[in-house]
Amino acid sequence: MTAFALEGVGLTRRYGGFAALDGVSLELEPGEIRGLIGPNGAGKSTLMDVLCGRGGPTAGRVMFKGRDISRLSAQARRRAGLARSFQKTNIFPALTVREQVALAARMAETDNTDEVLDALGLSELADRRAADIAYGDQRRLDLALALVGRPSVLLLDEPAAGLSIKESIVLALLLKELASSWNVTVLLVEHDMDVIFTVSDRITVLNLGRVLAEGTREEIRGNPEVVRAYLGSSIE
Amino acid sequence: MSDAVTQRKPGVAAAVGAGPRVPTFVVAAAVLAAAGFAVPWLIDSQLALTLMTQAVIYAILATAIGFMIRQNGLTSFGHAAFFGMAVYLMALNGKFDAVPAELAVLAAIAVPAAFAFLAGLIIVRLPALSFSMLTLAVAQSLHELMLRWRELANGDDGMPVRLPSTLFGVDIELFQAPSTMFVVCWVVLVAVIALLTLVARSHFGVLTVAIRENEERTRYVGYHTLVPRALVFALSAAVGGLAGVLFALYNAFATPGALHWSLSGEALIMAVIGGPHAIWGPALGAVVFFVVKDAVGDLTEHWPAIIGATLIVVTVLLPQGVSGLLARFTGRRAASKP
Repeated sequence: MTAFALEGVGLTRRYGGFAALDGVSLELEPGEIRGLIGPNGAGKSTLMDVLCGRGGPTAGRVMFKGRDISRLSAQARRRAGLARSFQKTNIFPALTVREQVALAARMAETDNTDEVLDALGLSELADRRAADIAYGDQRRLDLALALVGRPSVLLLDEPAAGLSIKESIVLALLLKELASSWNVTVLLVEHDMDVIFTVSDRITVLNLGRVLAEGTREEIRGNPEVVRAYLGSSIE
Repeated sequence: MSDAVTQRKPGVAAAVGAGPRVPTFVVAAAVLAAAGFAVPWLIDSQLALTLMTQAVIYAILATAIGFMIRQNGLTSFGHAAFFGMAVYLMALNGKFDAVPAELAVLAAIAVPAAFAFLAGLIIVRLPALSFSMLTLAVAQSLHELMLRWRELANGDDGMPVRLPSTLFGVDIELFQAPSTMFVVCWVVLVAVIALLTLVARSHFGVLTVAIRENEERTRYVGYHTLVPRALVFALSAAVGGLAGVLFALYNAFATPGALHWSLSGEALIMAVIGGPHAIWGPALGAVVFFVVKDAVGDLTEHWPAIIGATLIVVTVLLPQGVSGLLARFTGRRAASKP
């Protein structure tokens, strides 16, 4: 049996009596782009945190290519090929674009700094300090820091946050192309439904820390519970 | 899991922290170092040379503090601890005749570095203000120890640093005559700045700036962050210890003043005036400090007030210090500014 690229098994994260995640399980097939949606407070970012090693689960396991990595640090998970980007732009303002991408590449299996800079349209900005480039470029730099070294799994937390509609769609298409050509499995949290429905192969919906539904775009669009809990009339 | 950490690709080191070519840089440092040899020929006054030698020793201490601020984003309020630790290690070694003086010199650099590394593993994790306060507390503790343990260090009266007639095969007089010691200290200062510049441009230098900028993100691109930060503290302490060694060789006397907070404060002021975003900035700050002190000291005993006013003016008008101003004029990028 082929191992899943990434698997969460019964993941629970409690804060006192409150369960931010309550027995969440999900399996990502190699190469798929999985959208993760849900209302605010559904547990999306908490799930990303648990998967990438930013604090462990209260219960449950994280499996990476069939290996239990629940006890590995965030650094070890990144070196193994599990990368993430953040909801807020999370870069190194004083370093040049190239310095920081090369720094990230050095810890990865593959040094493809130039390839990543080129793919994300950052080559011409390579020698500029990150603090001095435009916000949209900073978002792509954030993505470059996660993508460099060709991780096998990428966790993206709202990569299109703060971008215009046009920029968001361009980013979504770029993401889909890169994931396909580099064979990266992606778990994508995003509030922009245009982005989610453009790139996702399958979609998981969280609500109140639990999986409400999982399926293809069409199945999610047609699921009355999802429409009632989250999508509302936005997809009409 | 494959150990990707050990895999290094050719070309990456060049890409990370790329700067001017090393030969050019080394030639520039060598020319600057050589220029120091001309100073004793140009200046006859032994008093002036003495002041300049002291200024260069303090410039090395200020450089140590500036490097810490630049690479770690942490401000030490107690760097005199490493300076004074080196001075007292030399003095106590002379008193007890424990090891050859050459070994004591090396130990006076290595012990502060090791102490800082071990302490750093704990205190560099703390918020910046807590770190600053703890460095101050450690330095003052050592100051009190040397002040009150009279049997060991003769308290406020201080103790001589007994030295052999030759050190590393060189006549000890060379380290105690202003005209020659100035050259020694100057060459050491240039070498320290050159070394720290190379470190700052290396992968380690870029990594530590990245940690300073965004420690969490550095972890999520795969790096451990604690040891590099402790290593920066250790390197800074080693440079502080080196300044202490030069002080001990030149003055051949140790007093608790070498551990006092006021010395830490003065060196920090030099670093701030000069601007720690450039490795050489704090040394420039030391020059400004001593020029102001010398010029105003002849007019009034309240020269510290003028230094204070200078600090305020620099902080408000030149947040990147005098070196930042010069960099602006020369159009150079203020890389990795804190």
